[in-house]
Amino acid sequence: MKKRIFAVLMLVTLLTGVFVGCGDKSSEKDSTANKPTTGEEQKDTKKVFPAGKLVIYGYGQPQYLQQYFDAWLEKNRDIAPEVSIEIVQTEGASDSREKITMTYASGANEDLPDALYIDPVNLLDLGQGELLIDVADFVTPLKDKLVDGATNDATVGDKIYALPESVRPQVLFYNEKLFKEYDIDPSRMSTIEGYIEVGRELKEKSNGKVYLSYIDPGSKTWRYYGRRGLLPQANAKIWGEDGEVVIDTDSGAKLAFDALDIMYSEGLLLKTAIFEPALYDAVKDGQIATFYIGAFWDEFLRKNVTETAGDWKVLSAPAFENVGVAGAPVSSYFAIVNKPGGKYAELCQKLWYDFHFDAQAREDWVNAMEEQNAPYANPITKELLADDFWKEPSKFYGGQSFREIEGSALENGATNLVVTPQDVEADNIISIELEKYVAGDQTMDEAIKNMGKNLRNKIGKAELIK
Amino acid sequence: MGKVLEKTKIRLAGIKMTIIQTLKKYKYPYLFILPFFLLFSVFQLFPMLWTVVISFSKWKGIGKPKSVGLDNYKLLFKDYMFWDAISNTLIYWVTGVIFILLLSIIIAAFLNYNRLKGRSFFKTVTFLPNVCAAIAMGIIFSMLFDENVGLVNEFLGLFGIESIGWLTSTKMSKIPVIILNIWRNTPWFTVIVLSGLLNIPREYYEAATVDGANVFQQFFRITLPSLYNILFFCFITLTVDSWKIFNEPFILKGPGTSNVSLFQYMYDTGFNLFKMGYASAIGCMLTFILLIVSLIQFRIMRKQDNI
Repeated sequence: MKKRIFAVLMLVTLLTGVFVGCGDKSSEKDSTANKPTTGEEQKDTKKVFPAGKLVIYGYGQPQYLQQYFDAWLEKNRDIAPEVSIEIVQTEGASDSREKITMTYASGANEDLPDALYIDPVNLLDLGQGELLIDVADFVTPLKDKLVDGATNDATVGDKIYALPESVRPQVLFYNEKLFKEYDIDPSRMSTIEGYIEVGRELKEKSNGKVYLSYIDPGSKTWRYYGRRGLLPQANAKIWGEDGEVVIDTDSGAKLAFDALDIMYSEGLLLKTAIFEPALYDAVKDGQIATFYIGAFWDEFLRKNVTETAGDWKVLSAPAFENVGVAGAPVSSYFAIVNKPGGKYAELCQKLWYDFHFDAQAREDWVNAMEEQNAPYANPITKELLADDFWKEPSKFYGGQSFREIEGSALENGATNLVVTPQDVEADNIISIELEKYVAGDQTMDEAIKNMGKNLRNKIGKAELIK
Repeated sequence: MGKVLEKTKIRLAGIKMTIIQTLKKYKYPYLFILPFFLLFSVFQLFPMLWTVVISFSKWKGIGKPKSVGLDNYKLLFKDYMFWDAISNTLIYWVTGVIFILLLSIIIAAFLNYNRLKGRSFFKTVTFLPNVCAAIAMGIIFSMLFDENVGLVNEFLGLFGIESIGWLTSTKMSKIPVIILNIWRNTPWFTVIVLSGLLNIPREYYEAATVDGANVFQQFFRITLPSLYNILFFCFITLTVDSWKIFNEPFILKGPGTSNVSLFQYMYDTGFNLFKMGYASAIGCMLTFILLIVSLIQFRIMRKQDNI
């Protein structure tokens, strides 16, 4: 009898454990509780937020933002007396998206972050899947105060799925010391054609020691040279008007890929992976003269090649002679997760608002970042950008103001490539062909042809979101 | 008709009684294995079945899966990346089986050699690669095989050999993966083979020595046949492990799909491209391949046993 009771109790305990462990997948999103207030309303709100931890997913070097958030919390203890902020570092935007998707699919909603930093490509799917809060009501009144196009990539129809975090242009970093050594005028690099000529001259005068720049044997070549640089500024297209594949027939794409082909086939680019020690060693050895890349590269130069401080200068990215625009600006976003039972949507909005509109706090933080050789971007608010602080000279750039160049380089930026939900896969397919090209397995013409063929086979048509 | 129904009812009642009696008789053993089967059902069986279900759908992980019939499987046959991944994995399997088994036997034979001094030390050192974290070792190997500053090219340079683009060349990128795979997994199988060697009675070798057999003859006529079952077990395990290889090609990524494994392709498709349905189809195909390979292996073993 006792054995029977014991066995039944064990079974009941086990079954209870299994059902509890499977969790309560409540898919009902309580969006009204999380409904953001407008940009004007939140200034007057003195709501006190409940105790807890506000979790943000971030990639790159988000630990430096933590310093801003900690200082901000101390100043806002009247509304968040027992709130802490934690930034969880992820590998990248797609890693953040994967974590959120899997967490949501498993039903463990309490493990979802409150907000995340994300790029336009991954933002689209999360937004359309209703995992992000529509912040149109909040940010629309503020649009005029932000740099042009700040919210474009987060806008789908009448919804805005994230708050703009940064808009950074493509720029040209060049080692002034090398240019003086080989007596080359850097202003010749205002065009892509001039940039290539400079590369040839550097190679000749240095007997092959100095390269114009680098080329990554992996996926970063497409990411930094292609999608954000040469293709947008050549007015290239991957997809046609109806979403059909046109990359292999588009003249702009051909112009962009041919420019890369000339640079690589003539030996002007050192084949080495970006962000790796070998590249930094090459920079320190004076083997790399320029970087045609996004403004974000500033933080990697300052952090990893401090020995070359004072040697570098910055220009706006070169433009194709016949087209006339520089690379496309890269936007990143701060999205608030539509978390069931979430308590901090409004707090996230206030956090974002103060980060972009509180000039003094922003300047204090940037000064701290400069001291640590840490990353920071220009503000996206016109009012802050107009301040002289954002024209201050930088020791690393030999007295030139990197902040001012970053601001002015936005003026002639190309329009970004159209973002579609199929872009994640398209980027992978295009990058694979470029990787094979860099490895010497195929010519650039073959690579372009294969891009078109494989995009049609695997994707067919892209969905153009209006 | 009525009689047939009557008979069926009686038969069903009989089966029901048998089940009830069996459950009553073995209720405690069943209760003890119930936790495993509950956890297995929830965390393995259901996900496996769900994978098969969503392999017939298009799903990004958000929202509801959309049924697409056999489209994912049709795409598999046209997808050159899938076939590249299969051929890469096949190469990892063949090289893994040959080199890991061979090295395991040789090293285990040395460790079993009765005149070897410091045997404990050598056993410890032999097992170290298996203990090291796979990702950490992968990162170190990527530095060793770096085209510009890697130690391997520096070493080859001493002999006048030009730098090789190990991880930047589609032809060479599999080599670092194979070397890392062999280096990490040989110790594990060495230990298994060594346990087999220790179970071979010494009298066989003594009798062979008396009969005039040399070391090689003893090895091929006594050691290898005695290790047959152990080696077959190692072969099966290596096969499954090789087809599931992930860490090494993930860290030592080569250009394009030059060294991508099938498992890695499945992971990239599901978690980087968010094509869960297609990734599930790849998973089902991988399971199918492993099933076929295992069936062939067991058939061969059964034939050998019959001989």
